[in-house]
Amino acid sequence: MNGAVPTTIIVAGLVLAGYALLMTIRNRRMSVILLGALGVLEILLLVEVGLIVARLASGGRPASLPTLIGYLIAMPLVPLAAAFWGLLERSRWGPAVIIVAGLVAAVLMVRLHQIWPVIHV
Amino acid sequence: MSEPTASPEPTASPEPTASQPGSARTGPGRLLVAIYALFALSASARAGVQIATKFHHAPVAYLLSAFAGLVYILATVTLAVGTPTARRIAVVSCSVELAGVLAVGTWSLADPATFPDATVWSGYGSGYGFVPLVLPVFGLLWLRRLTRRPGPGQGAEDAVADGPARVTSPADGHNPNPHRTRPG
Repeated sequence: MNGAVPTTIIVAGLVLAGYALLMTIRNRRMSVILLGALGVLEILLLVEVGLIVARLASGGRPASLPTLIGYLIAMPLVPLAAAFWGLLERSRWGPAVIIVAGLVAAVLMVRLHQIWPVIHV
Repeated sequence: MSEPTASPEPTASPEPTASQPGSARTGPGRLLVAIYALFALSASARAGVQIATKFHHAPVAYLLSAFAGLVYILATVTLAVGTPTARRIAVVSCSVELAGVLAVGTWSLADPATFPDATVWSGYGSGYGFVPLVLPVFGLLWLRRLTRRPGPGQGAEDAVADGPARVTSPADGHNPNPHRTRPG
């Protein structure tokens, strides 16, 4: 089993990126729907952080602990930074920022699995 | 109606509005700065961890990673600030970045022994989906487009009033850097 939460985050990130790409192509601005989707992604990432912290607390150790801690800090910041930066823009390039956030969330999950393959949470 | 009340998909104006004076961060610049910030963070954080924990393993690769991280930070900040001076620094940092990814990419393929661990730029950024190779090109194109037309807030109206014969922003109109230094 590859982990339900990381898989969900990958799917959610890709769906969000696809929707944001559609909004960029259709020349739309940032919307409530995009912000809500970013909020969902944020919650999922926080759940993943919690699961990893619980695994660390129960004695598990990855090959590179500093790298993992860096990921734990960076992961929840991605949707927040994207929402902030995207909301400042009053054109199609706001949703374009959200494309990046969705893709980054998916890539982070893949990299996380490479850093610590035993994460079956 | 199932439509939410807060008009979820407001249509943007067809032109990216350059409302912020002298800014390179509106429009496509918004996306560029976001991607640059991402690479600034990932490259410098990765280099920091590698240098702190296992520097002897691949010193050349890790130092180059750190250098790449610094260049990305500089490009991010100068693109986001977007004043004419910052834009000129951004042109230099994007150029250094392009030269770096080409040089380190070639070096890493010609002499893999020096790179037992990957940098952002090794293999022309293949570990990062070749984004490091494409990013400085888009950065330079965007900066060139900004300097071609009168800078937003830097006298766009003046330029129109003066007529087509005069270019009113000498700081922007030509390629600066007579004393540009070679990277590395």
